[in-house]
Amino acid sequence: MNFFHKAASSLDVPEIIDWKKSGKKIVGYTCSYLPPELFYAAGVLPVRLRGVETDGLDIGDAYYGPFVCSYPKRILQLAGKGRYNFLDGAVITPGCDAMRRLDECWRKAGDDHPGILPGFFHFFDAPHKDEAHGFAWFVEEIRSLMEKIREYFGVEITEERLLEAIQLYNRGRRLLSDLEALRCNPAPPVSGADAFAAVLAGSVTPRDLYTRALEKWIAQLDSEKTDYRNRKRLMLVGSVNDDIELVRLMENDSGALVVAENLCFGVRAAGGLVAETGDPVEALARRYLGESICPRMFGKYSERLARLKETIQQHRVDGVVMQNIRFCDLHGAENALFERDLEKIGVPCLRIEREYGPLVETGRIKMRIGAFIERIQTR
Amino acid sequence: MKQNSSKNGSIVAGCDVGSLTSKAVIFDGKRILSQKIIRSKPRPEESARNVMGDALALAGLSPEQIEYCVGTGYGREKIPFVNETVSEIRCHARGAKWLLPTAETVIDIGGQDCKTMKINRDGEVERFMTNDKCASGTGRFLEVMARTLGIGIDELGSHTRLAKSPVTLAAACAVWAQADVVQYLNNGVSVEDIGAGINTAMASRVAILVNALKPEGDILMTGGVARNQGVVSTLEKLVGRKIKKTRKADPQLAGAIGAACIAFMKTQNKGAEK
Repeated sequence: MNFFHKAASSLDVPEIIDWKKSGKKIVGYTCSYLPPELFYAAGVLPVRLRGVETDGLDIGDAYYGPFVCSYPKRILQLAGKGRYNFLDGAVITPGCDAMRRLDECWRKAGDDHPGILPGFFHFFDAPHKDEAHGFAWFVEEIRSLMEKIREYFGVEITEERLLEAIQLYNRGRRLLSDLEALRCNPAPPVSGADAFAAVLAGSVTPRDLYTRALEKWIAQLDSEKTDYRNRKRLMLVGSVNDDIELVRLMENDSGALVVAENLCFGVRAAGGLVAETGDPVEALARRYLGESICPRMFGKYSERLARLKETIQQHRVDGVVMQNIRFCDLHGAENALFERDLEKIGVPCLRIEREYGPLVETGRIKMRIGAFIERIQTR
Repeated sequence: MKQNSSKNGSIVAGCDVGSLTSKAVIFDGKRILSQKIIRSKPRPEESARNVMGDALALAGLSPEQIEYCVGTGYGREKIPFVNETVSEIRCHARGAKWLLPTAETVIDIGGQDCKTMKINRDGEVERFMTNDKCASGTGRFLEVMARTLGIGIDELGSHTRLAKSPVTLAAACAVWAQADVVQYLNNGVSVEDIGAGINTAMASRVAILVNALKPEGDILMTGGVARNQGVVSTLEKLVGRKIKKTRKADPQLAGAIGAACIAFMKTQNKGAEK
């Protein structure tokens, strides 16, 4: 568990440091629509970019302005302070408009703060629709990224290597499905914070080490050793979150347990398997673009609602906490729709707005979540 | 429980340590035996001790005579003497139910937040909405504005009635609104006209939350701002419904009363579970 918590809560991940020391390359990426398998296949460590451990926003605010989500701002803040100087490359994806601007803002900040822009800096586009033309475009984006990797890092991504990477990532996905099944149990063997840390760690650590650690950890989970049977069961959804403390805040001394989530950085990104037959690039495209679970994908609300309802049922969820980072239009709007449609069928919902970053609004958030749990308990 | 004791003998207390004021109520299940409101101290422990000490003294009771005490408010985790803590949302709902048994919708404007809730027959919360970390739409907003105008916060309420041509405050932000107020003062606008504008600005912020909740049944307003007639009457216009007030007790005490009601319920359920 320490392996996961360490990786999930800090930028100084021992496994990343070891990787760097051995002379191998590292690339940061911003979005769950980028297939990290590509980098793994090239022998480059893909690390999901985060904004943890920031203590100010002077650089982030300078390039972004005030009315923008604090998540990309905090990534830029860390980059500006040189915390991401260990990266050999970065890939920016327009997950949403604020994330798209990270490309421009980071480039501009690179002029003013020399040395913070990685040598390999790539814009990986992802369409907002998965229809035929969008799919063809996305396949093209993947192939062009592979070509850029070959040019810059001098590594050819062969079909064989790519398939190996796909198989390894799929193994992790199956393990995460096992973990999710355990969380459906009336007495889950794991807290929401631990489960979230275990998933999150996969986005920043070498995948082979991670998969082994995950396998070992899941094998020893045991409901007999925990006492989560009589807790109120919560689900956490909404804007990007990579802060285990937010999950802890919901669970500690509250009589509640987080038994499910639908978050970028969470199991949602783990998602379905990539086909291991046929053209691996197309298989990746089908899995990554076909995952319509992020509200960035147009015309897929009813699919997302159906999946949410399914999870609520399977995980026996008593209430859904919907958070959105201030100025997050995608999740702000989506949460309002979810609330409307879930309350209608008797699922209690709580919407909260928060800032991304070190949890500073604990009093405000805890009061709301506390009252929400009371509402569920007195039903 | 020597004196003041009710038939079944339980005397309980509710203690609400808020961001601006701290409130304590001593309660016997039917009547409020004593009550106290003080300005909150920097440390919640200190606020709680002071306000509860005063309330006990007023009732002529010692701490040992309190059978059960529930704490609430922003400082609730830090109150040393409580048996249990409950969120202020639930306490305000219970308090509102006690103050007005027919209440179905509750609007509470506290020092640093504003809550609206729908409550069921038992006084439990069915749905609630809160403003987010911003001073406009909270008691703090009125306080800052009253200070800028150089008047007491209790005077502000009458300005809506007294104003001849109320000003409009463009900004929804407390800091910018304050700048607007200073500008109006410099231009020689009357204090009443500005005060009425402040009440309207406040009511507009609150109306957003109230309308989003789709109020039903009797609406009760609690919290210190319920005493501001200007805000209440403007809010009634904006929401299109009558807002009830209570004479049973100071609306500012609703949270502490709710805490005391929950405390009393505890003493009645399965004996004293202390």
